[in-house]
Amino acid sequence: MTKETGKEAALHESENKKVQKSFTENPAGRAQTLDLIPAADIHETKEGATLYIDLPGVDRDSLDISVDNDVLTITGAVNLNTPDNLNPTYMDVHAGTYKRQFTLSAELDSSKIDANLKNGVLKLVIPRSEKHKPRKIEVKAA
Amino acid sequence: MISNMLRFSPSFFEGLDEMFNPEFPALAAARSRIRAYPQVNMGVTDKSVEIYLFAPGMEADELDVTLEKNLLSVSGERKADEQDDEDAINRRERFVGKFKRSIALPEDVDPEKTEALYRNGVLHISVSKKEEVQPRQIKVSV
Repeated sequence: MTKETGKEAALHESENKKVQKSFTENPAGRAQTLDLIPAADIHETKEGATLYIDLPGVDRDSLDISVDNDVLTITGAVNLNTPDNLNPTYMDVHAGTYKRQFTLSAELDSSKIDANLKNGVLKLVIPRSEKHKPRKIEVKAA
Repeated sequence: MISNMLRFSPSFFEGLDEMFNPEFPALAAARSRIRAYPQVNMGVTDKSVEIYLFAPGMEADELDVTLEKNLLSVSGERKADEQDDEDAINRRERFVGKFKRSIALPEDVDPEKTEALYRNGVLHISVSKKEEVQPRQIKVSV
């Protein structure tokens, strides 16, 4: 699921802009809608780091995860499959795209990120790079 | 003791949101941290009322949905993610715990015709309007 940045990511972003023109767009259409900042938890484990990011309404196809110069970028478009003739009456969620970025420390191996999306929660497991793993040092008897 | 020494540096993860967000940083922080769970979007069509509850990290059978007259209530409990005692929590923004959200629907709904589907962390509830309030075509006789 992890992709290198570049054309593909840029392409995806322009696609997301189109999706914004759906149900989740600001009805007044005055102010430009900003990306939603998804809530995130970060657990630091012995093996590395685990991130949990809430992305309700995002499916695998509209999720994009990329790492560029140690910056981890997560974008996802909300897809609710709303009926065409839906007239919004109340909205807590005013934008159609989530975006969040994190800087990864050099202690982490960004080439080995494991991503899992389930029930609107993205779980990312990022291992510690080999040289930063805790190791036991044997003390030899003199 | 040793495990404390092996913790990551404080700059392990830095939120870059602020730098990339055109808003004021404080506002951006508020946007990401203060939010209701679940968030709701609602709209109407000629024939139905469509409700979308953004409730990531649940299972369908953990959601309790009731409709009494025109009051729709959704409740449940979002459990914390499993973690090791030795894990350090770097950031905790996601909602955990019991929730209940009640939504008043237009009075002309037919509670017998309700469908609920939980997909990608979004609970979609569709309630039909009563037939007498649905628009109908009237033939003009010559």
